[in-house]
Amino acid sequence: MISRQQRQQEQREWFMQVLDQDDLLIKDNTHWLRQYRKDARQAVNSLPLLNRKQEAWRYDHIEKLFENNFVQPDESTGGFTNVELYDNLLPPLTSYRLVFINGYYAVSLSNLEELHDGITVCSIGDAIHLMPEKLAYSFIYGHKLHKDKFSALNDAMFNDGVFINIDQGVHLDHPVEIVYLNTNHATSEDDRENLIQTRNIIFLHEGSSVQVIENFVSDQSENNKYFHSNVTEIYLDEGSKLEHYRFQDESRQAYHLSMLYVTQKKNSHYHSASLALGGAWARTEYKVNFEEEQSECDLYGLYAVGDEQLIDFHLDVQHRQPLCRSREQFKGILYGKGTAVFDGRILVDKHAQKSDAVLTNDNLLLVNDAEVNTKPQLEIYADDVKCSHGTTVGRLDKEHLFYLRSRGIAESEARKMLCQGFAEDIMMNIRNEELRLYMVDSLTRTLNAHNVSSGDNYGH
Amino acid sequence: MLNIKNLKVKVDNKQILNGLDLDVNAGEVHAIMGPNGSGKSTLSHVLAGRDGYEVTDGQVLLDDQNLLELLPEERAHLGVFLAMQYPVELPGVNNMMFLRESINAVHRARGEEELDTVEFLKLVRKKAALLQLDEKLLKRNVNAGFSGGEKKRNEILQMAMLEPRLAILDETDSGLDIDALRIIAQGVNTLRRPDRAIILVTHYPRLLEYIEPDLVHVLVNGRIARTGDKRLALELEKKGYGWIAEENAA
Ligand SMILES: Nc1ncnc2c1ncn2[C@@H]1O[C@H](COP(=O)(O)OP(=O)(O)OP(=O)(O)O)[C@@H](O)[C@H]1O
Ligand SMILES: [Mg+2]
Repeated sequence: MISRQQRQQEQREWFMQVLDQDDLLIKDNTHWLRQYRKDARQAVNSLPLLNRKQEAWRYDHIEKLFENNFVQPDESTGGFTNVELYDNLLPPLTSYRLVFINGYYAVSLSNLEELHDGITVCSIGDAIHLMPEKLAYSFIYGHKLHKDKFSALNDAMFNDGVFINIDQGVHLDHPVEIVYLNTNHATSEDDRENLIQTRNIIFLHEGSSVQVIENFVSDQSENNKYFHSNVTEIYLDEGSKLEHYRFQDESRQAYHLSMLYVTQKKNSHYHSASLALGGAWARTEYKVNFEEEQSECDLYGLYAVGDEQLIDFHLDVQHRQPLCRSREQFKGILYGKGTAVFDGRILVDKHAQKSDAVLTNDNLLLVNDAEVNTKPQLEIYADDVKCSHGTTVGRLDKEHLFYLRSRGIAESEARKMLCQGFAEDIMMNIRNEELRLYMVDSLTRTLNAHNVSSGDNYGH
Repeated sequence: MLNIKNLKVKVDNKQILNGLDLDVNAGEVHAIMGPNGSGKSTLSHVLAGRDGYEVTDGQVLLDDQNLLELLPEERAHLGVFLAMQYPVELPGVNNMMFLRESINAVHRARGEEELDTVEFLKLVRKKAALLQLDEKLLKRNVNAGFSGGEKKRNEILQMAMLEPRLAILDETDSGLDIDALRIIAQGVNTLRRPDRAIILVTHYPRLLEYIEPDLVHVLVNGRIARTGDKRLALELEKKGYGWIAEENAA
């Protein structure tokens, strides 16, 4: 039995050994980001260690992560071009595409041709050289150092990412697709445990709009173990609209942590939907802040959890101004002995009158020994608001199954149809037909591969 | 075609069917009437293979096949169809997709060709038109938000698509407006064929004016207490069920 002190020591050393590694992005000592990173380092050191007594980390078994010595992959990995592997893992999309292999920008796999005026889409690495002022502006705009350990670590060490800057009133014709392909085939020793930290900045100026798709994929070989930490900063200026879709299906050895920070100005709209098929451990945090009135945010998500997987969604939506509207709907299918964690917090400040917020989390258990920890938290300090929440944990309905079977549909197929039906009202929020079909397909494939069809327990 | 002998069924340890005998020949239409709670839906469900029912005795044969040992889907493949008294709503399951899965599953099981998209659409449109069912309902999720009458029509649409050998209609007429009743009755009548049998569970003689039954049975206390022709239905309407129960007790 490892003591609490030993665990804490292990964690302290883990952060230290990460900070000791090379800076992969900035070689230049005088660079403006240097100071930022220095401050971030200090923050990592001074922020308290994580532990289970903190509400935010109660169900996550985070100590497992710290048992591994993750190391940043060497640069040669960026030249990886196993196109076949890569093609099999990706939806066929019409998009502007940026591909990162183990966090390194892979130019040869990317496609950014024919972007028209008023649009900047490039890697952070390129932006540092090509448009330092623009990047610095977005970077520093309203930006404070992050106040939690993993974001601060990302601040201090991220090795690349994507910079998207859309000028006033500009609308992008095709989605921007960011692919993170994590594979140990690309590194020299294939039993290496990679540490991958990426950072994106998405800046939409007044009245602009764009669709952004993020695909987190990896080869499923057994020793593909890594930790990917991804921070995305999103600024939506007045009247702008971002559609943001995320697909995550990674090695069952992988640790994934996504942290999204959304800042919204008046009348802006953030619409997002994600499908998480997980890794070993996958956690996504959304922090949405309505800084001005009448903005809108939709967070939709579906997670499917199999044996020994943990998938976690942490939402924190802050209604700090009046007349804003938010929808948070997450659904989970637990098809194996895994764990789902859902923590949805909505804060309505006392000035935020006429706030409209609905938060739901529904879970479908296909096996007996899966674990669901669901916690909606509405903190409401205004009196004239429309807010509600609800969570459920249930099983496939016997009556529904019988209905389908009585029409000649075999039980296995019937179960599958009901699972897809359960997912449908999340999936329909993916307003990109190609992507939606791909995601529905991926979900079905995952469920098929794990024999959801043969379960024998359901309720009324 | 259908032979039920001494069928005894328990639900939650309560005896519902109590030694029921019923024989339905191919080409025939039988009506089953009876007071609320007498076991009509129980019988229908047991025939279709819904679980939750404990068959403690008796036998059910469809063309000499022991129906009771088959899964619900296998019964459907043999041509058993139950139009349910309370059709459930299936969230997220598209009606059109469901119909297609259903008909193709049945075709596959019978070793017949599956319908391709064009054939399927043609068929479903034809049947929907026959039943005057709004095509918009096909695009929605199965029964989701359908009115009571729309659900019943949707059941009959499925029946028309699947062309069952043994159709059991559990109070399909309840909740239908007068026009809908006529349309659905027509739909059922077009299905009448020498090699098919139909069981109509109903509370109302009016249905039997549109679909003329060969025999009318009265189910009381889990058994067929009386069998007659169409006139029995009218007699019941006048006199109620009490006298049959009394006769039976005597
Ligand atoms: N799951 C169950 N648990 C307990 N009792 C049940 C269950 N299902 C049916 N029953 C009982 O069995 C009896 C027969 O019910 P059934 O639905 O077969 O009646 P019915 O003849 O169809 O009635 P109705 O004309 O009202 O439709 C009723 O008393 C009912 O309460
Ligand atoms: Mg009934």
